[in-house]
Amino acid sequence: MAKTILCLCRDVTAEDVRRAVAQGYGDLETLKRFTGACTGPCQGKTCVDAVRRLVAELTGRDVEEIAVPPARPPTTPVRLGTLAAKDAS
Amino acid sequence: MSVRRVRRGEAAARPAARRVIPGATCAELAATYDAVLIGGGLQGVALAYELAKRGYGRLAVLDAAYPGSGASGRNGEMIRSAFASEEWIGLFDDSLRRWQILSAELDFNVLFTRAGYLLLASTPEALAAAQGNVALQRRHNLHVELLGHDDVRRLCPEMAPAMIAGAVLQTDAGFAHHDATLWAYAQAAARLGVEIHPYTTVTAIGATGGAVRSVTTDRGKISTSVVVDAAGGQARAVAGLAGVDVPVEVFRLEAMVTEPLAPFLRPAVSSPAIMGYCHQTTRGEFVGGTEPDVPVPCESIRSSLDGARDMATKFVRLFPRLAGVRMMRHWSGIVTQTADVAPILGRAPGIDGLYLDCGWVYGFVGAPAAAALMAELIATGRTPPVLAPFGIERFATGELIRETSLVVAAAGESVA
Ligand SMILES: Cc1cc2nc3c(=O)[nH]c(=O)nc-3n(C[C@H](O)[C@H](O)[C@H](O)COP(=O)(O)OP(=O)(O)OC[C@H]3O[C@@H](n4cnc5c(N)ncnc54)[C@H](O)[C@@H]3O)c2cc1C
Repeated sequence: MAKTILCLCRDVTAEDVRRAVAQGYGDLETLKRFTGACTGPCQGKTCVDAVRRLVAELTGRDVEEIAVPPARPPTTPVRLGTLAAKDAS
Repeated sequence: MSVRRVRRGEAAARPAARRVIPGATCAELAATYDAVLIGGGLQGVALAYELAKRGYGRLAVLDAAYPGSGASGRNGEMIRSAFASEEWIGLFDDSLRRWQILSAELDFNVLFTRAGYLLLASTPEALAAAQGNVALQRRHNLHVELLGHDDVRRLCPEMAPAMIAGAVLQTDAGFAHHDATLWAYAQAAARLGVEIHPYTTVTAIGATGGAVRSVTTDRGKISTSVVVDAAGGQARAVAGLAGVDVPVEVFRLEAMVTEPLAPFLRPAVSSPAIMGYCHQTTRGEFVGGTEPDVPVPCESIRSSLDGARDMATKFVRLFPRLAGVRMMRHWSGIVTQTADVAPILGRAPGIDGLYLDCGWVYGFVGAPAAAALMAELIATGRTPPVLAPFGIERFATGELIRETSLVVAAAGESVA
């Protein structure tokens, strides 16, 4: 069977999400930690909607009921050298 | 913080009625428990597991949000017992011995990586102090080695030579996965019958006649004669519900993770010179945090630009190659700190049945031992000797614990 990849950064498939929800990781906060979905370089920008929709479907809830984890800085990955630059002598 | 955020976002969804992690329950609260643990961080959940192992009766862990939403899911995951005082070595080496077999004990891989823990000395003075500490650590049979400049360079070839005078390497320490550890304890506890109730906020503690009688939550009132305050960043407010003052201040710690890299760093590394700690995960990410030299009490878990720049500047100083590596994510958590930076473990004064398991800054590494020893105290009424120095009485008697190898700034003074 073809794989449906939801999180491209971390190669998390729909099946991975299904299995995690079946085990009891029914919140996006805990599901992301368990599967790694939404924790790659794009930080969920590409996949969070798809993962959220699948979790809603699997748990019989409306999409709006599934809280999205708060976005964390930086909005796009930044080189440490860039962040450090102002202090470099 | 998370408690507030979750309440705001979830009020309409009856959040208690769904599963958040395996081991958590969706059931209603019972009317009575033999013990109630306030806080589903690693401390509360691990202690519940240890009590259940002793057959302590009906147990409930209550968390205002999802278990692990506090510092237990936000920390730097560093594990060591090579401290500089008898008291810390006693407690944390008991923990380290438990870490070695934790995955087997809990039947869940907590990803404990015994890659060694390197406490870096960047000055001759720091190295001399380390030498004294190693002598003490050896007397306690810790697996520690004093490394010179060349040894450290061989072990950490990417580290800036100018930062290296020498180091203490604890060879059987390292790091583990913080979420996996919490889930491991939660599932093991649930198998023994512990009820872990997420999205359940404690709003009152009933104590009459000098003893605990009840706990009131936003989902109803429970009667119980044993309550443990394991509420992490909110521990002072929770103890306050019973009229007990816990002398802690709240500090924000910030941490970050980079994009994954090919393996370049094996041991966990702490550097008092930059007030930072870090490791490279099995997935290749570089994870770490730094602290400002003079911390300011702060209850926010919003990440700051100053924090990001502090980490970037210091970690590039320690590992110059990181200048070209991208920070993927940056987050914060709060810890509670006592005057001597040691946790508060034991009975609360004046109220029978109320116990304190809070004031933690090293509460990830310390959890396995604290849980087992606190369970012994609660189940038998006897304080295990290793636990005794950590009682809250020390703040009244002035017998504070003197520990000098911490990578954390004490309020008002820098401890390195
Ligand atoms: C950035 C950072 C890095 C760190 N690095 C390390 C490290 O490398 N090694 C190490 O050993 N330690 C480290 N720590 C410290 C460690 O994370 C903590 O000491 C530890 O997680 C404390 O666990 P806890 O269970 O006491 O608290 P928490 O995990 O904070 O849990 C407390 C829980 O109580 C709940 N709660 C609060 N109030 C109520 C209420 N009224 N009713 C119900 N529930 C309530 C909260 O929701 C929360 O889940 C670090 C911390 C941070 C923030």
